[in-house]
Amino acid sequence: MGALTLRLQSLPLSLRLPLIAAGLMVLVGMVASQQVLSALSAVQEERLRELAQLHVDGLAVALGPAVLRRDVWEVYDTLDRATAAGSGQRMVLTVVADDAGRVIAASDPLRAPVDSDVGPLAKGAQPIDAIRLLGAEGHIRIAADLDYQGRRVGRIISELNVADLVAERRAAGLYLLAGNTAATLALAFGGYLAMRRMLKPVARLAGHMGRMEGTLEPIPSTDVPRGDTELARLFQTYNTMSGAVQAKTEAERRLAERERFVSLGRLSSSLAHEINNPLGGLLNATDTIRTYADRPAVVRDAADLLDRGLRHLRDVARATLDHNRMDRSGQPLRPEDFDDLALLFEPEVARLGQHLDWAVQAAVADLQPHPAVLVRQILLNLLLNAAAAAGGAGGVGLYVAADSKALHLRISDTGPGLSDAARQRLLTDDPVQPGGGVGLRLVRDLVRQAGGRIDVARRDRTTEITVVLPAGGSPC
Amino acid sequence: MTTQTRRQALALIATAFAAASPAWAQTPIRLGLTPVFLDNDGEVIERLRAALVRGTGRPIELVQRRTYQEVTGLLLEGGVDAAWLCGFPFLQHEARLALLGVPVWRGAPLYQSYLIVGADDPATGLSDLRGGTHAYSDPDSNSGWLVTVSDIVRMGEAPEAFFARTLFAYGHRNVTRAVAGGLTRSGSVDGYVWEALAAVEPALTARTRVISRSERLGFPPFVTRREAVADPAVTTLQAAIFGLNTSPEGQEALRLLQLDRVEAGTPSLFDGIRSRMRDVQGT
Repeated sequence: MGALTLRLQSLPLSLRLPLIAAGLMVLVGMVASQQVLSALSAVQEERLRELAQLHVDGLAVALGPAVLRRDVWEVYDTLDRATAAGSGQRMVLTVVADDAGRVIAASDPLRAPVDSDVGPLAKGAQPIDAIRLLGAEGHIRIAADLDYQGRRVGRIISELNVADLVAERRAAGLYLLAGNTAATLALAFGGYLAMRRMLKPVARLAGHMGRMEGTLEPIPSTDVPRGDTELARLFQTYNTMSGAVQAKTEAERRLAERERFVSLGRLSSSLAHEINNPLGGLLNATDTIRTYADRPAVVRDAADLLDRGLRHLRDVARATLDHNRMDRSGQPLRPEDFDDLALLFEPEVARLGQHLDWAVQAAVADLQPHPAVLVRQILLNLLLNAAAAAGGAGGVGLYVAADSKALHLRISDTGPGLSDAARQRLLTDDPVQPGGGVGLRLVRDLVRQAGGRIDVARRDRTTEITVVLPAGGSPC
Repeated sequence: MTTQTRRQALALIATAFAAASPAWAQTPIRLGLTPVFLDNDGEVIERLRAALVRGTGRPIELVQRRTYQEVTGLLLEGGVDAAWLCGFPFLQHEARLALLGVPVWRGAPLYQSYLIVGADDPATGLSDLRGGTHAYSDPDSNSGWLVTVSDIVRMGEAPEAFFARTLFAYGHRNVTRAVAGGLTRSGSVDGYVWEALAAVEPALTARTRVISRSERLGFPPFVTRREAVADPAVTTLQAAIFGLNTSPEGQEALRLLQLDRVEAGTPSLFDGIRSRMRDVQGT
């Protein structure tokens, strides 16, 4: 039964429902057949009861005096003539016994000899008002009292040939079976076709969803069922949902893309200062060169100053460009990447008047297994977050260590600690609440992508975020 | 001539005869009948009546009763003018009754009593039937009672104890039915009736088997009261009986009855029965 249920459950809906419908039809057919057969039985039994009652009543009138006298011949003669008169076709045997249960005479004396005990013949005999046609027995026996002049003078046991009734019932049963089978098959087949037709869109929807491999694409309007049916609404809802999911995926993709620039954007004012500050000195240097063109020593000093300022500007520009150069993806991490980060980050620290504690203790070989772009993205986001958390005159620290197994990055700040929202972004996959940036969620995604882990700790009024990236993790 | 037209002709003749006859001629002659023949066959009765009407020229009333005793009683008290009785009741009331005639069957006014059993019964004689059930025809029947009872007496046994159960079926055909149907194991039956049945109802007699036949005894006679022998009704009837084989109606009736004719008989014809009566009465 369990296996059958399991097998049924594994069938497609378009087959299962018609099968269930067919099963119900069979059930209804069986119940209906049973009703018809029992009605037929009731009619037959009623007929038999009437016949048996007439038979017994007639015999009682004819036999009463003879039974009272125990006149064997008279009783036999009456029974024999009654049998010959035609009722014998139904009444196979009629036995008349006295009130002591001894046979006076029977229509077939060989089966019920005179003076024999009527007991064995009366065994299983049914009273007339409770005649039932049971089973396939071709003969049934009935028993009735033989009353004469208001008192019981004997008993009548009759054997009725009901083979024709049984055959009639069997034939009716067979006809019903055949008819019901044909009707059930036809209805089940019709039900199967109708169900399949009705469920075709569902199969189409399921097929469509199966082909999408994780992405949702709207179903073409030609495939949407016509009319305002539940299925049409289901298709429309699916299409709306798939559109919404697509839009959300696209938005997330664009947001993540943009985030790479957001961190730089946040540095833009610092970088502007960084570029602007030397510009005054550089312009002074060009003025000096122009003014003291005839004084080689002054020009040389001014040119040196100009050279240093321009080199600094070149380094800033290069670091900025490097951070976003797509062709560097897949490049291994180098110590210079940390220098670039420092170059990019220090103006922000300077702007906020913060103290920076910077320590990179890693061999080149231990850095190499890690992708540069990924680590730079992670660090820049976390450092900017730390600087924002630490506030004016706060302290921010970076400690980098690496061995052959993993790269350890520890970013610390003297800020008040991570808020619940920030913690949720960094440590969980819960939906990002609107209003906040996506930097920390980007860090989480990148770390997970690299197969690493993030730990957050708070000690000595310092927040420490530790990122451990295993060597040989997913390449960026 | 068909039955219908013949009857119509007879009725016409009877009517014409009645119109031309004195008053007594319109009084029917009453003939009592016992089941010594196929008394259940309406056709036989009707043909016999028609033949007697033809023979007597008077209306005939055939009176049937269930038992011999009733018919004998009717005859003795004048309820009927004559009766076709068994030889046994005739001898029982020989002092008051006189013979009118005796039917001739298969060339002689004699018949036999048969002892019959079911076709499959292994019995070969009366002694094999001891302790069984037996059907007699009538307590006043020679072939249907007296012969068997006297045979039992001659065997030195008590008739009332010989069979476990006996019954009277009141008619030789009934005895045959009782035995054929298995109601009783054996039966005492008029040999003439059994043979006649074998011709008209072979399926019935085929279910029985004759295991013993008595000596030939006087055939059941037509009798009347001694004082009525000279009555015109009786003499007319007697003449008609004797003349049955001379008219087409009579011949047809005789054919149905499977009899040759009716002739005058003597009481000595019934000596065999008389002898059996003595044997039974002597016990």
